[in-house]
Amino acid sequence: MFGNFLDQFWSLTFGGLSLGFIYILIALGYTMVYGVLRMINFANSEVFMVGTFATIIIIRDVFKFTQTSEYATGPRLWLILGTALIASMLVSGILSVLIELVAYRRLRRMNSGILAPLISAIGVSMVLAESMRIMTDSRPVASPRAMEKSFIGKFFDADIRLDNTIIIVAAIILLAILMAFVNKTRLGKAIRAVSMNGNAAKLMGINIDGVVSITFLVGGLMTGAAGFFYVLKYENSSFSIGFELGIAAFTAAILGGIGNIKGAFYGGLVLGLLETYASFFLGTQWKAVTVFVILVLVLYTRPNGLFGEAMTQSRA
Amino acid sequence: MINLRDKGADIWERSNRIERTFIALGFIALAASLPFFGGTFLNTPIADYESVLVYPIAMFVLMAIGLNIVIGKSGLLDLGYVAFFAIGAYTMGLLGTRTSLNTWEILPIGIAMAMFSGVILGVPALKLRGDYLAIITLGFGEIVRIVALNLGTLGRSEGILNIPTPPSVFGVEYSFDSHRIYYWTLLILILFAIWMVRRLSVRRAGRAWESIRQDEDAAELMGVPTFKYKVWAFVLGASVGGAAGVFYASKTLFIAPDNFTLQISILILACVVFGGMGNIWGVILGAVILGYLPDRIRFLSDARLLVFGLVLVIMMNLRPDGLLPRKKREKPLPKQVQ
Amino acid sequence: MSNSIISLKNVTMKFGGVTALNDVTFDVKQGEILGLIGPNGAGKTTVFNVITGVYQITSGAIDFDGKSLSGTKRYKITKRGIARTFQNIRLWGDMTALENVVTATDTHKKSGLLSGLFGMPISRKEEKRDKARAQELLDFIGIGEYADRLARNLPYGVQRRLEIARALGTNPKLVLLDEPAAGFNPSEKVELAATIRKIRDAGYTVLLIEHDMSLVMKVSDRVVVLDFGQKIADDVPNKVQNDPRVIEAYLGVPEDAS
Repeated sequence: MFGNFLDQFWSLTFGGLSLGFIYILIALGYTMVYGVLRMINFANSEVFMVGTFATIIIIRDVFKFTQTSEYATGPRLWLILGTALIASMLVSGILSVLIELVAYRRLRRMNSGILAPLISAIGVSMVLAESMRIMTDSRPVASPRAMEKSFIGKFFDADIRLDNTIIIVAAIILLAILMAFVNKTRLGKAIRAVSMNGNAAKLMGINIDGVVSITFLVGGLMTGAAGFFYVLKYENSSFSIGFELGIAAFTAAILGGIGNIKGAFYGGLVLGLLETYASFFLGTQWKAVTVFVILVLVLYTRPNGLFGEAMTQSRA
Repeated sequence: MINLRDKGADIWERSNRIERTFIALGFIALAASLPFFGGTFLNTPIADYESVLVYPIAMFVLMAIGLNIVIGKSGLLDLGYVAFFAIGAYTMGLLGTRTSLNTWEILPIGIAMAMFSGVILGVPALKLRGDYLAIITLGFGEIVRIVALNLGTLGRSEGILNIPTPPSVFGVEYSFDSHRIYYWTLLILILFAIWMVRRLSVRRAGRAWESIRQDEDAAELMGVPTFKYKVWAFVLGASVGGAAGVFYASKTLFIAPDNFTLQISILILACVVFGGMGNIWGVILGAVILGYLPDRIRFLSDARLLVFGLVLVIMMNLRPDGLLPRKKREKPLPKQVQ
Repeated sequence: MSNSIISLKNVTMKFGGVTALNDVTFDVKQGEILGLIGPNGAGKTTVFNVITGVYQITSGAIDFDGKSLSGTKRYKITKRGIARTFQNIRLWGDMTALENVVTATDTHKKSGLLSGLFGMPISRKEEKRDKARAQELLDFIGIGEYADRLARNLPYGVQRRLEIARALGTNPKLVLLDEPAAGFNPSEKVELAATIRKIRDAGYTVLLIEHDMSLVMKVSDRVVVLDFGQKIADDVPNKVQNDPRVIEAYLGVPEDAS
């Protein structure tokens, strides 16, 4: 068993890394919103789910790929992938903003505590997932393969797959853009200001509602990109995918310290790798349990995550 | 709607002991007579009316009362309530098929198992802040389901078959199609749960939960052992869920992991939120309406969860206190103060 | 100092790099009213928070009734006999005034959840006893007629008094009052001063934080002054008033005029 593990170590690691980057991008949807509102954006999982379907629709219905189509190559491939990525990001980003308007904003104005927005978010998740279930007849939906998943090189004994490479490279570019946005632009600085101290930011004349909307938009864009990468890697989706990946991504956010962008990065990578290695030994059916056990362990042993704020109760 | 609640409370408070007994008996008789309305406008076109009374309606009511202790009384968001239902059901399934114990003997064991799991989950989880509690309990619910799905002893995805019906009591036979007998038995369980909640509400435990829900830090600084009472709320909620589970298994005779998904937790949560968190009558009303409507209105039965999700969003935003809100009214001030 | 009920010895409280209390030592004697004053941010409420266990002190010791308080859980500190009010009112708004106080009396009940559930005689007896006790306390504080009103609907001044009644409900030996006169008009302040003395005369010991200097000087038997987390004076009111260090600490910080 262990010998096999060593044989497959590098290919598992690459798979784990690309999964990790998917987690990072979804985790950003949780962590950025948490940073600004101190609230778990429960519905982010379904923002991801909708993102995966946006990608499938672009590939299947816009570019008319079927299971028997020839693979796209050259510029056409990049056009298809780029369109799908941007479409998923936009759909998810806009959906995320709408969710905030419909499900959270009013409650925030009423100052309703933490229970009400959470329940409202669960309701939104349910509505999105169920609508998708009804539209897809409760069945998983396969995405036609648009590109050849060729091996583009070798690292030790492991083949480096094109899709994993695209995911890792594109995700790193997106994260770099995000960091530049948060650190360099006015809007990004406003988001950071609100994260650090909402009341002070308000006094400084920052439009909190605007900042919140932008945060949901950016979180949604990143989550939507994760949807695209997920379909690229696994070539299918289903109405329940949000729940499965959402919890894992949330765990990643906690692992790194929720509310903290850097935390999402390390948390996502660690969880992607851990989960992939653990599945190798325990079998994929225990994947969800592994994730939860990690979540519980982190919450008890390192409640601050690797970088974030304390999660035990604040006192008087 | 607020008036409906206040009017009810008003009549109740102005009645003497004998009148109250009559009002209570009247409601019990009304609830008990529901199986006889099968042919009327109440009839359900999709599933058999009497079986709908048992599941979902009565079962939802029972579980909603249990979940209300946790979320309504103490303000703890438990998204894994289905786990206790599952633990009760699997206790019945295992012991019912592997041993000679009957349903009535397994019922206390199932309740004890659910309470025990409540402690196991609650003691670590209740130290965390509210929203993390929600995620941890959600995880717990899923873990229980996944364990059932992967353990050979629990039948994996096939579940457990041929679970025995309860043996007869006082000559009343439980056969699997005698829905009304099950319904009445559930009614007794529900009455017992109502008794328990009402009794606790007006005493120390109820005050402790109220104070925790409203301001936990202040509660602790005023000498309320908050952690202990949070665990109690969790464990009592679990006990009701476990009882419902035992009885459910003994009614359907067949259980599988698919019966115990996250959706059940959310459905029960919707019942509680819709009816009115913290008010037991509201919770019962919510569970009856949300249990009944999808079977009454054909369009709703396919989109049941969709509708329940909408109910959560709409109620939270427009009427966060539910149909029948918790106590808001107060006795009028004596003259000299006004 | 055999008759001191609580003593703080060299108490230091640091939050990260900020020292909120620096080597503070004082005690409160049985049956006295001790005023705790100081400019804003001097660490007065922090004193309450370390006594009631909200924060764990960085160094030093706090002894209550001859025994250390360190490591004692918050609700057990209350049970041992320390109760407080809050600067920003923290009543349970959805409960009636009476229920607020009864909840505090629960601290010393022998009956718990199970004896309540099964209606054991002890539970009934204690319920009855403590309801009567709570009503007595409301009357004692002078808000008895509001017993059945929801706390959140009460007028502001009544809420402030209810906080005191609730604290007394825990049957404390030491009562910590955190700015009980905040927002009161002069005649209400006079009334409150009388109430605080009445509380002391009923056998409780009082530690009082208050901004209104004349109120503090009038009711206190002794006054401790904090400035930037350090104790700068500890004496009877008229000596403290003339202490140059106290005057300096307050210089430029006008007395709360309200």
